[in-house]
Amino acid sequence: MDMKRDYYEDIQLLDSKVLWFWFLMLIAALATFPFIAPTYYVYMANYMAINVIVTIGLNILVGYTGQISLGHAGFFAIGAYGTVMLMNLLHFPFLLALVAAALIAAFFGFILGLPALRLEGPYLAIATLGFGMAITQVIGRWELFGGRMGVEAPALSFFGIPVTTDLGRYFITATIAFVMVLGARNLMKTRVGRAFIAIRDSDIAAETMGVNLVYYKTLAFAVSAFYTGIAGGLFAFLLGFISPSTFNFILSIYFLAFVIVGGLGSIFGSVMGGIVMTWLLLELDKIQELPFIGGMLISFSENFMTVAGLPNISSIIFGLIIVLLVIFEPLGLYGFWIRTKIYWKTWPF
Amino acid sequence: MFLQLLLSGIAFGSLYALIALAMVIIYKTSEVPNFGQGEMAMLSTFVAFMLLDTYGHSFFVSFSGALVFAAFLGVFLEFVFLRRAKDPNILSLILITLGFEMILYGVASWKWGADQRDLSFPVSDFDLVNIGPAVISYLNLATLLVTLVLMVLLFLFFRYTKVGIAMKATQQNPMAARINGIRVNRILSVTWAMSSTIGAVAGMLLAPVATLDPNLMLEPLLKGFASAVLGGMTTLVGAALGGYMLGIIENLFGGYVSLEFKSIVAFGIIVLVLCFRPSGLFAKHYVRKV
Amino acid sequence: MNEAFFSVENLCISFGGLMAVDHVSFSVNKGFIFSIIGPNGAGKTTIFNCISGLYKPSSGTVFFQGEDITGLKPHRIATKGIARTFQNIELFSRMTTMENLMLGRHIHMKTGVLSGATFYRRGSKAAREEIRHREHVEKIIDLLDLQSARNQFVGSLPYGTQKLVELGRALAVEPKLLLLDEPSAGMNSEEKQDLVFWIKDIQDELGITILLIEHDMKMVMDISDRVLAINFGRPIIEGVPEEVQRHPDVLKAYLGEDETIGDAA
Repeated sequence: MDMKRDYYEDIQLLDSKVLWFWFLMLIAALATFPFIAPTYYVYMANYMAINVIVTIGLNILVGYTGQISLGHAGFFAIGAYGTVMLMNLLHFPFLLALVAAALIAAFFGFILGLPALRLEGPYLAIATLGFGMAITQVIGRWELFGGRMGVEAPALSFFGIPVTTDLGRYFITATIAFVMVLGARNLMKTRVGRAFIAIRDSDIAAETMGVNLVYYKTLAFAVSAFYTGIAGGLFAFLLGFISPSTFNFILSIYFLAFVIVGGLGSIFGSVMGGIVMTWLLLELDKIQELPFIGGMLISFSENFMTVAGLPNISSIIFGLIIVLLVIFEPLGLYGFWIRTKIYWKTWPF
Repeated sequence: MFLQLLLSGIAFGSLYALIALAMVIIYKTSEVPNFGQGEMAMLSTFVAFMLLDTYGHSFFVSFSGALVFAAFLGVFLEFVFLRRAKDPNILSLILITLGFEMILYGVASWKWGADQRDLSFPVSDFDLVNIGPAVISYLNLATLLVTLVLMVLLFLFFRYTKVGIAMKATQQNPMAARINGIRVNRILSVTWAMSSTIGAVAGMLLAPVATLDPNLMLEPLLKGFASAVLGGMTTLVGAALGGYMLGIIENLFGGYVSLEFKSIVAFGIIVLVLCFRPSGLFAKHYVRKV
Repeated sequence: MNEAFFSVENLCISFGGLMAVDHVSFSVNKGFIFSIIGPNGAGKTTIFNCISGLYKPSSGTVFFQGEDITGLKPHRIATKGIARTFQNIELFSRMTTMENLMLGRHIHMKTGVLSGATFYRRGSKAAREEIRHREHVEKIIDLLDLQSARNQFVGSLPYGTQKLVELGRALAVEPKLLLLDEPSAGMNSEEKQDLVFWIKDIQDELGITILLIEHDMKMVMDISDRVLAINFGRPIIEGVPEEVQRHPDVLKAYLGEDETIGDAA
C-alpha cells in the first residue's frame, strides 16, 4: 500500500476544524434561541424536535430498510400513553418512563415486524395500517387509559426540578432530539445501518452475505418504533393532554409526508423534513391570517366553499406536496440541498 | 340470530366487495394500490348530494351525474399525476395515492365542512323484508342486488368485450400489449374511470346508512382494501369473496363476541391470513428470482 | 461418509412438476476450480441457489467440510464460509463500493445497535472495529484494482466494474468456497483476461476453492481443474476439461441436435 489512509475519517462526524466550529456554533445557537424567541416559537421548536425524532424513526424503516409502515401513529400512541401511564400509575420518574415506554413501543415494533417478514408492498401497508388502527381502538376502549375522553399528562419534573414552561420542555426535548439524531447518524454509518440498507437494495444478496433477514428486518421495526415511542412520550407533555383521536390514520400519513419531504434514506433530510413540515403544519392552521392571500381565501371560501372548512386547506397542500415531490423530486429536500451544494461549489462558473 | 347476522354481514360485505373490486381493477392493470379510492367515492357521493339537494335534480339525474363525475375524476387523477411518475416503485405509488387521499379529503372538507348530512335515497333503510326468520332492509337488499349485477357485468365485460380483453392483456404483460397495438395509456384511463365509478356506487349505497361527511369512506376504504388483500390483490373474484367473508366474519364477531372490538377483528384476521398466505387467500404467490 | 471438501449428492429440485435439477452429484477437492457448464436453462444457477440456501432442494444433500448444510438459511451458509456472486448483478446500488465490500465483512463484525449508535471517538469499540475492517477491505480493493471506484455509488459504475465489485464483496466474506455465477458475462476480452488472472490468484494465493458457472468455453477449459456438464437438469459427464469437451453428448447439447430433445423426452 502506497498511501496510509485514516479510516476513521470515513465514519467520523466532523472531519475538519471548520466543521467543528460550525457544530459548536449550532449548539450555542440552539441553547440561546429559546431565551430570545417568543414563547410561541419555543413551542414550535419543541414540536419540530419531536417531529424530527419521528421522521428519523420512520425513515430508518421506510428510507433505509425499504419497508413501508402506515401505522406509526400506533407507536407514537404507545410512547405517549406508555410514558403517561408509567408515571401516573407506577410513579416512574420521567426519563425512566420515557425510555420504558419507548422500549414497549420497540417490542410492539418487533411483533409487527414478524408478519412483515413475508409481506411486501400493499400487503405490508395494510398490515401496518391495521396495527395502527387496532392500537388506537384498544386505547380508546380501555377505561384505564381514560377511554375516548383521553388523559392528562402528569406534572413534569426532571431530576427533581419541576418543568412547567415551554422553555423548560425545550431543553429536555431538544437535547433528546439532538442525541437521537447523532445516534441515528452513527448507526447508519456502521454495521447495523449497512445491513438495513443492504436489505433495501437487495435482500437476496444481503442474506447470502450473511445478513440474518429475520433479525434485521424485525430490528429495523423495533428501532424505528423506539424512536417513534420516544417522540410520542415527549409529545404527551407538549400537548399536556392526549386522547385516542389524536393518533389516527391521518397522523401516520403525515409522518410519511415528513419523511418524503425530507428525503428517503437521509438523516439530515429527516431533520429538514421534520422542521419544515412542522412549520408548515402550524402556519397553515392560521392561513386566513396571512396578509392578502388570507383575505382572498376567505372571500373565495364564502362564495364557493365554507369558511369553517378553510383550515382543511393544509390537507390539500400536504397532499399536493407529497404527490409532486414523489413525482418530481423523490430525494426531497435532501436532493435540493445536494444540488445547491454542488451549485455553490462551482459558483460562479 | 345467526341467520340475521349472516344476512346483514353479507349486505355489508357487498359494500366491501365493491370497494375491493374497484381497487383490484386498478391494481391488476397498473400495480397501484389506490389509497385515494375511498375519497374519490366520497367526493362523488357529495356531488350526488349537491345535485340532489342544492340543485334539486331528480334521483336519476343526480346519481348518473355523480357517476359521470367519478369517471372523470378517475381519469383526471391518473392522467395528471400518476402518469407523470417516471419509473415509480411500489412505495412511491402508495405515496402518490395517499396524496390523492389528502387532497380530495381537504377539498371535500373545505367545500362541505364537517357537518353530517343525509343523502335521501329512493330506497328505504327502515322498511324491512322477511327472509325466513331474519329481516333485511330494502336498502340492504338493493345493495346486494346492485353488487351482484355489477359483478356479472364486470365478468361479461372482461370476458366478451374488446376493451375488456385488451385490459386483461395489459394486466398480464403491458409491453407485449403495447407491441400488439393496444393503446396502454387509454386502457389505463378506462381502468381508472371504471374503478372510480364502481367506488362511487359503493359510496352512494353507503351514505344513506351512514351519515354523509368527509369521513364517510375512511373506514370502509380500509375494510375494502383489507378485503382485497384478504382475497388477493390480483384476482377479481377473490377480492369480491374477500369482501363478503370480511363482512360476515365481522358481523358474527360483533354479534357473538364483542361489538366494541368489531372493527379491529378485521385487521387481526388480515394479519393472520397474510402470515400464512402472503398474497391473500385466492392469489398465487410469486417469489423473485435471481 | 464423504471425505471431500465440498460435495453435492443426488440433488433434486422441481418447480411445479418440472425437474429443474435432477439427481445431480459431484464433489470438489479443496483448492480446485470446479466448473459447471451447460446450455441456458440447464439448471446451473438453480444448483447454486440450492447450495447457497435460497432454494430448498426437494431431495439430496449438500456437504461442506464434512457437515450437512442442506436447507440451512442463506445467512447460516455464509457463516459456514460459502460466498457467491450473481448472474444478474445483485449489488447494493445506493451504497459505495467501499460500503458494499464492508457489508461483506458483516459476519466478521460485532457492532450492534447500541455500540453502533453511540461511538463518539476514534477509540470507541465500534470505531476501532470499523477501522480494522476498512483496512481489510482496502486490501481487496487494491487486489482487484478498484481504487477509482472506491467511493462511488455502485449503481453508476460500468457493468464490468460492477461485476468486479460483486467479486470483491464475496471475497470480503473470507469464504472457503466461492461460487461464481457467470463472472465474465458482459465483460470485454481485456477485462476477461484480467478476470482469469484474478480467479487464478484467488485460487493460488488465497487458497479459496471455486465453483464456477461460465459460458466462455475457452476460459472454462483454461482454468478449471474439473468440469461438470449438465443439460435439462441432469448431469451428462464430469471429468477433466479435455474429456468433457470431447464428450459427444456435450457437443450435442451445445450444437442442439434434434435427438437431444428426443432423448430428453
